[in-house]
Amino acid sequence: MENITYTLKDYKSDLKPIWCPGCGDFGVLSALMQALVKLQIPPHKLAILSGIGCSSRLPGYIKTYGFNGVHGRAIPLATGVKLSNPDIKVVAVGGDGDGFSIGAGHIPHAARKNIDMTYIVMNNSIYGLTKGQASPTTPIGEQTKTTFYGNMEEPINPIRMMIAYKASFVARTFSGDPKNATEIISQAIQHKGFSFVEVLSPCPTFRGVEQFKLIREKIEYLPETYQPTDEVKAFDIANDNDFIRLGVIYRQDRPIYTEIMKKMKEVSQKLGKPDIMDLLAQFEP
Amino acid sequence: MACNNIVIGIAGSGGDGVISAGEILVNAASSDGLFVFMLKSFGAQIRGGESSVRVRMSSEPVATQGDKLDVLVVLSWKDYMKFKSEMLLEDHLVIVSDSADKFPEENIPIPEEQRKHWYKIPFTSIAEEAAGTSLAKNIVVLGAIAELFGLPKSSLKKSIEKKFAGKKQELIDKNLNALTAGQDYVRESLKKTDSILFEYTPGEPRLVMEGNEATAYGALYAGVEFYAGYPITPSTEIMHWLSVYLPKYDGIVMQMEDELASINAIVGASFAGKKAMTATSGPGLSLMAEGIGLASITELPIVVVNVQRGGPSTGIPTKTEQSDLMQAIWGSHGDSPRVVLAPSDVEDCFDCTVLAFYIAEKYQLPVIILSDAFIGHRKESINPNRIRDMRYGFKKINRRLEPTQDELEDYKRYRYTSNGISPVTWPGVENGMYQAAGIEHNEYGFPSADVSVHEKMTKKRWMKFHDIKREFSFERFYGPDDAELGLIAWGSTKGAVKEAVARANDNGMKVQAIIPQILFPFLIHPFHQFLRHKKKVIFVEMAYAGAFRRYLRGFIRFGDFGVETISYRQTGGAPFTVGQIYDKIVEEYEKKDV
Repeated sequence: MENITYTLKDYKSDLKPIWCPGCGDFGVLSALMQALVKLQIPPHKLAILSGIGCSSRLPGYIKTYGFNGVHGRAIPLATGVKLSNPDIKVVAVGGDGDGFSIGAGHIPHAARKNIDMTYIVMNNSIYGLTKGQASPTTPIGEQTKTTFYGNMEEPINPIRMMIAYKASFVARTFSGDPKNATEIISQAIQHKGFSFVEVLSPCPTFRGVEQFKLIREKIEYLPETYQPTDEVKAFDIANDNDFIRLGVIYRQDRPIYTEIMKKMKEVSQKLGKPDIMDLLAQFEP
Repeated sequence: MACNNIVIGIAGSGGDGVISAGEILVNAASSDGLFVFMLKSFGAQIRGGESSVRVRMSSEPVATQGDKLDVLVVLSWKDYMKFKSEMLLEDHLVIVSDSADKFPEENIPIPEEQRKHWYKIPFTSIAEEAAGTSLAKNIVVLGAIAELFGLPKSSLKKSIEKKFAGKKQELIDKNLNALTAGQDYVRESLKKTDSILFEYTPGEPRLVMEGNEATAYGALYAGVEFYAGYPITPSTEIMHWLSVYLPKYDGIVMQMEDELASINAIVGASFAGKKAMTATSGPGLSLMAEGIGLASITELPIVVVNVQRGGPSTGIPTKTEQSDLMQAIWGSHGDSPRVVLAPSDVEDCFDCTVLAFYIAEKYQLPVIILSDAFIGHRKESINPNRIRDMRYGFKKINRRLEPTQDELEDYKRYRYTSNGISPVTWPGVENGMYQAAGIEHNEYGFPSADVSVHEKMTKKRWMKFHDIKREFSFERFYGPDDAELGLIAWGSTKGAVKEAVARANDNGMKVQAIIPQILFPFLIHPFHQFLRHKKKVIFVEMAYAGAFRRYLRGFIRFGDFGVETISYRQTGGAPFTVGQIYDKIVEEYEKKDV
């Protein structure tokens, strides 16, 4: 480890966020930067990747290797980076639309392969960048620009989905509690394997300032005695509609993909590593 | 009739071992130094169903599968019916079929005069007797046709031994018995009525490769480090091959959940500094379009192989077509430069892939290789020296331009340069941090909605074409420069065009063909040179809408050269025959003289 101590200044980019005043994503950005300071991750040994959406603008606000890709593809992008260079800490970020709608097909695969990365979803239950349409986590009954008569679709429960996909680390936090968010994000980054963090990140512009209040009213922190290794209990927490429980809800130790790949390389090389020209022998008649 | 060029077709059901027979035959011929060309054709069934193989062997180099069959071997007439439109027959045809097949002869669509030489052989019972199983009937077939037509017998024996190497000796013996039994039956119980006899002088063994293997091998040779892909016919063999060999050289092969993931994973890998590629076919390329645009605007090198098949939509997945041209060149929204290369035979798959990595890395953009099922799935003799000496040897291994320490002081990833190429870093490089962005960005990579930045950046990305056009000249010319009739074709139609042009010139017609290897950017000078003496050109392409002609007309005002253009095209499926193109040449040549 380098002798340099990284401070917030070292992670701050010259770019000013485009987010609206009061946006929950400010809290997430701040918590993520605090976590990086806490973990002393060298900025050049980190990659933050995203898709499209308000929250997907985040990589530009941190001085590191950032990638603002196309809508819904942060996870495969991050997978490519991690597999190419296992020494880099890889964080994918985005919103609920980017992750659970257009990009939903990628999540189970990164989870089951246990790609060693952190996936932070800033969930505001609305499409903000396109100015207020329903998202896959918009509650039933909510009026948005595309649900004029009230949303009639059952929303996705991200935590339940992630436990079902066997994500090896599933946690929830709230952008209105930067301390908790910093702690949870730090743990997620330290976790070996695919770690998922849902950050409730209100959108005052399109869901009103009361979204903060509503979340706060339902929040409850998981007790220190809580054991996140019990899948059944974790599902119970995910299914509980009376409270929003914050903390590490589920956790599992499983071999990570980069290690699996390393093993596979070793096996393949045991069978010989011929000169590339010698491979032509297999095409001899 | 002694000959040094023979075309043999075998048709049967999947379980008949038709493809194995073709492979053993091709290997035998190659180990005797013959030039070979083998084409497989399948129905859509996963297992079983109908399959056919066509093997051409000659002591001279061959560029096509041969138009018509000298010998037709049928293990099941019912299955042959599925291929009858793909298998044209010589007048002097010799038929060899299984006498156990009860298919009504009157329903066989072969005219009386081509049935003159027809040997009905009890393949199944010979196999059962000699090897104890009817499964060996494909080997009996090989014995029989080797005896009938003078094919390389001792090499066949070696090929069978090699094919079953590592298996029980008993199995090898059974197959060798089947081979001998086939030969014996012909010698003892058949009276040869035809006069086809293949004669040749054995030479040094030649390598045999499939196009997809050559592509995969070329990628390894070029130093590919990361492959992510999704299975799709007819490209998957590339992934199969790399998944065996790439890990040996510390590379990664990942099977992704779809093509969207594949393209984005390789963009991610390239962002991480690795040489990255994927391979797909038409439907996959459609899904990758957005990701190709992402690589284009983020200026990250990637190689995308598209082994074309008949389309649109699912189309005709096991058959070939050249209908993805425009999709490869323009397929992605926005102005998104990429380079498009078109291999024209198996060796060329190797060349193009090595070249693709060279161009991608040097110019920091996506390169698409437009192969097709016809090249990807055929076996051809390869000149190993061509690979050893590597025509593009000087470009063998190269990597993207890195910034100097000075440049890292105030690192601008997308710095405006005179050639559009800016030095690039990747995660891990100290002080090299930047943001890659699919959103329009300034020199630092930060988002910008400034119209003038968009204009400058777009120019920067397209500017790379200047140097690419200057660095390369890929066109292949066949025939005399001063010919007034010309043929323009691309990709896999080269073989048939090349042989047709040679035949025409042999027969006193002056004809020249040009086959570009790089399709985009468009290199205009070789075409101007080509057109100097032309009065008429025929565009040959396997695509109904004739996209290639339309594309070229965007660059060349044929009228200004006084050149008349003719489009000769057909939908995919069966590749062009030499005869078809030759006949078209004759037709246009004669018109020209009027």
